[in-house]
Amino acid sequence: MDEMALNVSTAAVRAEGLSRRYGATRALDGVDIALERGITGLLGPNGAGKTTLLSILATVNEPDAGRVSAFGLDPGHAAERVEIRRRLGYLPQELGYHRHFTVAAFLDYVAILKEITDRRRRAEEVARVLAAVGLEDRARSRIRALSGGMRQRLGIAQALLGEPDLLILDEPTAGLDPEQRLRFRELLSSLPGDPVTVLSTHQADDIAAICPHVVVLLKGQMHFAGTPAELAAAAAGRVWAAGERDDRAHLSWRGGDNRWRHIGDHPPTGAELVSPTVEDGYLMLSHTAGAR
Amino acid sequence: MTNSSPGAAGPVAGADGHPGEDLLASYAAGTAGTVTVWSVEAHLTGCARCRSALSAHVDAERLAHNRSVLLVRAAIGDGSRVRRVLRRCGLPDHVLGLLAATPSLRRSWLLSVMGVLAVVAGEAAAVRYGWITAGSPGRIPGYPGQNLAPFLLVGPLLVLAGVAAAFLPMFDPACRLAAAAPFSGFALLLARSVSALAAALVPVAAAAFLLPGPGWLPVALMLPSLALSALALAAATALPPRAAAVMAAILWTVPALLLAVDDVPLLIVQRNAQFGCAATLCACAVVLVARHDRLESGWMRWP
Repeated sequence: MDEMALNVSTAAVRAEGLSRRYGATRALDGVDIALERGITGLLGPNGAGKTTLLSILATVNEPDAGRVSAFGLDPGHAAERVEIRRRLGYLPQELGYHRHFTVAAFLDYVAILKEITDRRRRAEEVARVLAAVGLEDRARSRIRALSGGMRQRLGIAQALLGEPDLLILDEPTAGLDPEQRLRFRELLSSLPGDPVTVLSTHQADDIAAICPHVVVLLKGQMHFAGTPAELAAAAAGRVWAAGERDDRAHLSWRGGDNRWRHIGDHPPTGAELVSPTVEDGYLMLSHTAGAR
Repeated sequence: MTNSSPGAAGPVAGADGHPGEDLLASYAAGTAGTVTVWSVEAHLTGCARCRSALSAHVDAERLAHNRSVLLVRAAIGDGSRVRRVLRRCGLPDHVLGLLAATPSLRRSWLLSVMGVLAVVAGEAAAVRYGWITAGSPGRIPGYPGQNLAPFLLVGPLLVLAGVAAAFLPMFDPACRLAAAAPFSGFALLLARSVSALAAALVPVAAAAFLLPGPGWLPVALMLPSLALSALALAAATALPPRAAAVMAAILWTVPALLLAVDDVPLLIVQRNAQFGCAATLCACAVVLVARHDRLESGWMRWP
């Protein structure tokens, strides 16, 4: 715990005691988070507060209580907030588009919002991010003519404009097909300047593949911060493979090999212990939090 | 056919009359001096062998990037005719780029405004020329046979609607991006609102000018329209934006309707009301200057 407190106070981007309510719903409840350079994955079920947390880190929403600091700047002060935004790339969960815009015109518009006022530099930046997400041949397409996956890639492209130092991506892999997800992972791991990157996802395999750090948020509270291996270890000794379903398990599901995978404290009859994945660790953690 | 006369290369020519590999490399990399570039280009125009040799020095990645940049510039284009004219008038191009996302500047919106104006102005004209008979609210003291009440109500409301559509987040699908961007939210709101105001005032004033009624009507409609829009913006420094726009609309509609029912709708654009509108406009301008930081986007408690 002391070690975590130390990390929070020295990290590039950090938040302490964040709380936020929407009416009677407590979306965030005293969350402390520390983000270092590199990629941090934010895992949690729907309604856990991931989007609220990310929108606060992106300086869009103000917390009811708590403090945020990004690169030593406080978003509570107007001038410092603008400085943070100059270094920010943000993909909101439900990014709306001006559907009559072309892909290039939309990115040009966002580039202006990011204070890239020189026309030539804007065109260079737009071309760069379009190539990064593989949409360079779609520059003239209207946004309304794009598929869902292409729109998601366009959303990622706009976040990359201006080579941000803090990249906040809310469910960036939603709507991407497996090949596009692989390309996205490759893109994130090859970003220049090693920005502080945080992405939320439901996909534990995204976390295992690209995130050296992972944070689990459940019911507005932080339940885990560590490496994917440490998250997987949360289920160590409690994941079993068996031919039959076992009702005593906390969770069981049938895998592609037709065998049942159980997470629980009691080994089912004839079951063999298997090494846990990040997903097992996450499910174990959610179950434990739900039982409290 | 393949080789030109070596002399065409001028000062850049090597011993065989063609530019050397080093020269072609510096030309391709863009590091050659201006005079050298001209000479090399003069030679390349007539020498296929050197053009072919040059291609080996071109960085394929840079070429692909340049192609992408050209495609992007072609896709963005120069903007609409109005944008080109405004740019020539000295307005910064990037500010005009931001206005492209303003719904009340789109053709469909402006056509709708003109449609509504055509209906209310048409009704007023029909009463004036005796094609239809106005009901009780149409009888205006001093202007017999005219029914300007619907037009007086709707004109400033249309201007307010245009301004509200320009600043309400609900009309900007990408408002979350604007909220997280460094560009000043207040500057964006002001640029959009002022342009929407100008775009809506033109058809309203034109309709007022064409209508059979007092000659001062187009001018008299300006102050209420400006005051209403300013009121909505000033109220948005204290209220959620939608509530601010609705409040301004109610503050105009209720007195306008009451006066129309009382058979004196023109009072709303006559002297005392004009003074009231001017005072409101000034007060709202002061509020906007004093509280403009409240209109910076993001870091807000209301979602």
